[in-house]
Amino acid sequence: MKPTHFTIVRRAGTAALALSLAVASGCKTFLDVAPQGQLSEEAIKADPAAAQKLVDGVYDALYLSGGFGADVNGFQLVVLSDIASDDADKGSTPSDYNDAANIDNFTATPTNSNVNNVWNGHFQAIARANQALDKIPLSPADASIKNRQLAEVRFLRGYFYFNLVRLFGGVPLLDRVPSVGDVNNPALQTRASAADIYAFIISDLQFAVDNLPAKAGTDVGRANKTAAQAMLAKVYLYQKNYQKAYDLTSAVITSGAYSLYGNYADIWRTVGNNNSESIFEVQTGVNAACNNSALQLYVVAQGPRSGGKYGWSDLGFGFNTPSASLANAYEAGDVRRAGTIIFINPTAPAGQRSTGTVLWDGFRIPSQDSVEGSRFSYKAYHSRTKEPNCGNTDFLPKNIRIMRYAEVLLINAEAAVQLGNTAAATTDLTLVRARAGLAAAAPTLANIWRERRVELAMEHDRFFDLVRQESVQAGRIVPAYAAHGKTFVKGKNEIFPIPQSQIDLSGGVLTQNPGY
Amino acid sequence: MKNLHFLTWVLLALALLPAALFAQQAPITGVVTDAASQEALIGVTVLVKGTSINAQTGVDGRYSIAAPADAVLSFNYVGYAQQEIPVAGKTAVNVALASTTKLNEVVVVGYGTQKRRDLTGAVARIEGDEIVNQPVQTPTQALQGKLAGVQIISDGTPNSQPTVRIRGTGTLLAGANPLYVVDGVQTTDIRNLSNADIASIDVLKDASAAAIYGVRGANGVIIVTTKKGAVGKPTLSYSGTYGFKEAAHLVEMANADQYKSYITDTSPTTTFPTYPGFSGTTNWYKEILKRGTFQNHNLAVSGATDNVRYYFSGNLLQDDGLLVDNRFSRLTVRSNTSFSLSDKVTISSQASYSHANTRDVNIGSAYLDAYRAAPIIPARQGDLFGNTAAYGNVGNPLVDIGKNYNQSSENRLQGNIGVDVRPVEWLTLRSAINVDLNANTRTIYNYQFNNDASTFIIAGGNQFNTTSNLSVMQSNSYRYLWENTATFHKVFGENHDLTVLAGTTTEEGQYTPLYGYRRSVSADPNQWYLNTGDPNTSVVNPYDPNNPDANMLPSKDRRFSVLGRINYSYAGRYLLTANLRYDASSKFASDRRKGVFPSLGLGWVVSDEEFLKDVRGLSFLKLRGSFGRLGNDQIPTNSFVTTADINIPYVINGQPVLGAVISQIKDGQVHWETTTEYDAALEFGFLDNHLTGEVTYYNKRTSSALIPINIPGILGDPDNQLITNAADITNRGVEAALNWRSTIVDNFTYNFGVNATFNQNRIANLNGGQALFAGGNLQTRSDNGQAAGSFYLLNAIGVYQTQDEINSGPKSTFAPKVGDLKYADTNGDGVIDLNDRSYYGSYQPPIYFGINGGINVHNFDLSFVFSGNLKNKVYNAKKQNRYAGTDNVEASFASSRWTAANPSTTNPSTLASSLPNSTYFLESGAYLRLTNVILGYTFPVSSLEKAHLATLRVFLSGQNLFTATKYTGFTPELPGGPLDSGIEAQTYPTSRTLTVGLTANFK
Repeated sequence: MKPTHFTIVRRAGTAALALSLAVASGCKTFLDVAPQGQLSEEAIKADPAAAQKLVDGVYDALYLSGGFGADVNGFQLVVLSDIASDDADKGSTPSDYNDAANIDNFTATPTNSNVNNVWNGHFQAIARANQALDKIPLSPADASIKNRQLAEVRFLRGYFYFNLVRLFGGVPLLDRVPSVGDVNNPALQTRASAADIYAFIISDLQFAVDNLPAKAGTDVGRANKTAAQAMLAKVYLYQKNYQKAYDLTSAVITSGAYSLYGNYADIWRTVGNNNSESIFEVQTGVNAACNNSALQLYVVAQGPRSGGKYGWSDLGFGFNTPSASLANAYEAGDVRRAGTIIFINPTAPAGQRSTGTVLWDGFRIPSQDSVEGSRFSYKAYHSRTKEPNCGNTDFLPKNIRIMRYAEVLLINAEAAVQLGNTAAATTDLTLVRARAGLAAAAPTLANIWRERRVELAMEHDRFFDLVRQESVQAGRIVPAYAAHGKTFVKGKNEIFPIPQSQIDLSGGVLTQNPGY
Repeated sequence: MKNLHFLTWVLLALALLPAALFAQQAPITGVVTDAASQEALIGVTVLVKGTSINAQTGVDGRYSIAAPADAVLSFNYVGYAQQEIPVAGKTAVNVALASTTKLNEVVVVGYGTQKRRDLTGAVARIEGDEIVNQPVQTPTQALQGKLAGVQIISDGTPNSQPTVRIRGTGTLLAGANPLYVVDGVQTTDIRNLSNADIASIDVLKDASAAAIYGVRGANGVIIVTTKKGAVGKPTLSYSGTYGFKEAAHLVEMANADQYKSYITDTSPTTTFPTYPGFSGTTNWYKEILKRGTFQNHNLAVSGATDNVRYYFSGNLLQDDGLLVDNRFSRLTVRSNTSFSLSDKVTISSQASYSHANTRDVNIGSAYLDAYRAAPIIPARQGDLFGNTAAYGNVGNPLVDIGKNYNQSSENRLQGNIGVDVRPVEWLTLRSAINVDLNANTRTIYNYQFNNDASTFIIAGGNQFNTTSNLSVMQSNSYRYLWENTATFHKVFGENHDLTVLAGTTTEEGQYTPLYGYRRSVSADPNQWYLNTGDPNTSVVNPYDPNNPDANMLPSKDRRFSVLGRINYSYAGRYLLTANLRYDASSKFASDRRKGVFPSLGLGWVVSDEEFLKDVRGLSFLKLRGSFGRLGNDQIPTNSFVTTADINIPYVINGQPVLGAVISQIKDGQVHWETTTEYDAALEFGFLDNHLTGEVTYYNKRTSSALIPINIPGILGDPDNQLITNAADITNRGVEAALNWRSTIVDNFTYNFGVNATFNQNRIANLNGGQALFAGGNLQTRSDNGQAAGSFYLLNAIGVYQTQDEINSGPKSTFAPKVGDLKYADTNGDGVIDLNDRSYYGSYQPPIYFGINGGINVHNFDLSFVFSGNLKNKVYNAKKQNRYAGTDNVEASFASSRWTAANPSTTNPSTLASSLPNSTYFLESGAYLRLTNVILGYTFPVSSLEKAHLATLRVFLSGQNLFTATKYTGFTPELPGGPLDSGIEAQTYPTSRTLTVGLTANFK
């Protein structure tokens, strides 16, 4: 045996031994491999920017659904707020989208897909919010930044629950991230009372009011103090706490940060994005991949649809068509009528040339014989030629106005009337009517409610408002729907059915709403 | 954990023991190998003739014996012919012993070798020379039909890996492919290997054999051993094949007349386009298919001296595939060396580098479009294409291919370096580092083209691409595996043969992908890099749910394992193998990552017992049985960790911002799937082992298989599902193999063999998990009591002949007309709807088999392999997936469909779009295929002297020359995942290959 070999082996062995010891000493952590290229809890603890990403991810929930899936502020909510109301009909061809027709006609059953989509979408959004609230405290950022982030998320969570309680009544209250072992815990599935949900919404929104900066200190698009005040005022209006509603809206008005935007028809156009009266709106845009910075199909689902003789490249599926009841609700001279509804002109008699309908951007829709439906939402129209468009019409960037100053004025007016302060109510109402080209009107509840209808038409509020008004002054909702050709059953149709699939998954712990 | 690493370095410390302590004086040394496999033979008795001085070879085949210079050494080993060699003054005597039976075949069992007769587990083996002559890229393809219990489903795409299922499919959602071990490197992909470099392939089929691979072994293990040099002077050898391949079978589509008559009848308002100067039929398959070249050339130098063994090789393979523009080529170089520093220390290395280039084609579009495109439109006239899109909204398949460029290049370095130390004769210590490096790039360029007269003969349609775009995907990965083992082998007394193995392994792998995209890139290929194009359209690693390529997630994983094995045999008659493997894996939470995988196998060579000694005709009889537990951790890393989806878009201040969302609810307790297997077998040989065979029964149960359970929507999970370990899957079956080998006269030998596997796959219990729908049109459903991937369909029971028949039968929700398919009201509720779907079998064959044989007459040899399936089903989805009424139909359908004049009871009048999934599209998957046939001629040695050749053989080799099947589609071999195999939508056609080949060894 030649000694050199041993030397080599011994050296190699010593090196291996050393390497082995090195591995052994790091052994405790050797098998703890963090996820690569993915944001995990460790990354949130280390990077102050990570918590902000989670906040922005909650805003992204406002883009849900992709049209026909889990939904927060997209087309599914349109079905349950506009189509369900007397402002609009389902639209499209009669046989298209039976589930929405059932919502329109109050014949929906617990297996209806719209209610399941909105249920899932809102709880997805709430889960995102809870996850963000769970992780923001881990961030190494300053406490003040973290407080603002928490407040933004709680604003959004409050809004999500506000939609849910108006759609379904009491729902399961998830205020934190449940552990995986709890997924089938009955306590989690049990419905809280509507009152408990409202109390929870108020605590979220009050936290937002207390911790969000004013408009001047906020990026455009983020929730600010005013947004929280206005949303909280609206919640108090639903709670009939008129003093709080009045105080909060008065604070918004006296802040002077917002004012009515001059041209009503432009409010929902790109030129009116984040205009002087916009308090909170869903922000959209175009990104390089052209595939996601907007509400998918929101515009196309409500776009004018060809029919009859066809023969033109139409703009969408033709859902959510403004009703005759709405068209008739406008007073003469109200500029809002033409700013809200696209009217399809009748076909000219034989031998004469039909003019069609020319939209603000010059697009010409042919007349009635080539169109399915006679009215369409102008607020949901997005110009393919004069407004941003990256080439994918499924993602036309339409900002959704969730809260604007006009509504703050109307909340203030309604609360003032209820508190006996007609002077304030007159001021508010006159401002709103003047912008619409109308003279002042008496500050009565009926006038303020009619004003709410035409001011906020096709903005996804009418169904909830009708139900709320009925609780303030009974006897109006059934005739309103009768005028619209629908039968509203009191004690049932104020809220929608709890999705049957969710009741099944809860093992029957979730209870169904009355009448379904 | 610390204790385990302690074990690692104890093993290494043992390696440092000064071997000199055990050195003997002036010995004669050497290596005894098997003449066929060149594997070391362990336990060979070396006797100095006429004395009682003897020694035995160790695990590397080495012996050392003190003997006078004029002694004669006698080498004795059961099952091998004895050899006597005079020492004649040499100090080294190497011997290659010839086996007298296959039972002496040495098989590789993972961290060691064993003689076949000593096995207690199920191990199948193929020698390299059975692989090298087949014109196929991957060695697994060459296993088709040869091994019981091993199902190979081939895929015609160049550079694709055939699907391998060993004893059924034991998972639903985790990886179902076996583990490959190439000279110690553990991988799931062996497309880099040159078949000519392979010495042998061993398949570990049962839990007893595979348990040494623990958490990686549940799908079976395929061990590939590459060649080593044989003792002797350097020899140069060449082997090569050259030939052509073409589609083995094509579906005949309706010709122009049949098509026009069909469309006129079914869509009377259709107007046919007219193309001046064209009146015939376009056969779209002919337009996009070609006869491709296949060639494969290997050059190797190998040899060995007492101290150095070497094998160097280079390989060039080209496979053009069958579609125009398709191309694949690969270069592989290999260096296998070992250096004996002394008779106690050996350093060895196996390493290969491969570089592969693939020009892929857009098979998904082109092959589907060729099925749909109308035959009345010319494919092209000059530079302009027929406009199938303007007429029927079908892309012109030639445009699909020609306007899309898709090229991938793969570089792979794979190998190991190890040191073996044998301080004493009975102990071998080994430490080895195995590495596997990949660097891949894929470039996809979509040309800009318009639907106008610059591209098409007639303008219009929606086949166009307004802006060119370029995607580049790159990925790098590495994996290292450090193994330290100690093997103890000793024979106590006369009969107690004991081998003990202990070791540790440490492993790490990382995968790093990169994706980039830009639009408006010049059509000049020299500009196809991401620095060109419009920077405003630049995308790097986007989140895009519709583009899986863009969502490649990086990953990193580690494992630490301790392994041990005891082999004990008493008098070669009573055999015991026990394995124990401990695994810890970073893929799971810290309290769920550790597992122990035991196995026990027992064997009894009954024919060695006195009471069977005199049974006439019986040469060998062995009973064996085993039990073992295995794991399957082929699930994504970090499946248990809550992570955020990133790059979630929103807009703030009018500018895009990217948020993050924690949405997916994950089961933090997720762990590997566990498979428990029992196995019992009878091995036999009759008539001097002319007739040999084996019958095995196995029973495998995978428990805690991954399955989604539905969870309430209030938890906010986007798919309302949670993946957890719940389902149970069983595979039970019998494998049988029978082989006959005989010599009739000198220079005339023949052999014949059959093997068959009967397997029953069942989902025993979902345990609350959800039945899984899968397949492009959700044709399959995997549910309790069914085989995984069972077809879940309406039962098409005929064609409505009259309106009365429609009115009087159960009400159908499919609005049938006369001439439409009639479905059975399976559930008897008086309504025909989707609730009438039921199960009609699966792609998994209850029986698969192989038949092989060979004849050698003088210098000619002929061999063949048949393979096939029985009793399984395939789904003809391309026939169902009709997008427009103007899509073409198959010629057989055009002539046999229902019409008032021809009231067919099986074929409807039209194939409407969106017909529901039904048994009308389900066909038998049974087939018998002549997988390979080889005719060879070996030149007599005497004729080669002048050419400086040692051997020369020429041969013809044909792959898939003949197939018998009732299936009407392209091929009944339809690989897929566990849930969606057996569905033909746009499958690459199976090829038929004919090559000429030559092997030569130079002097």
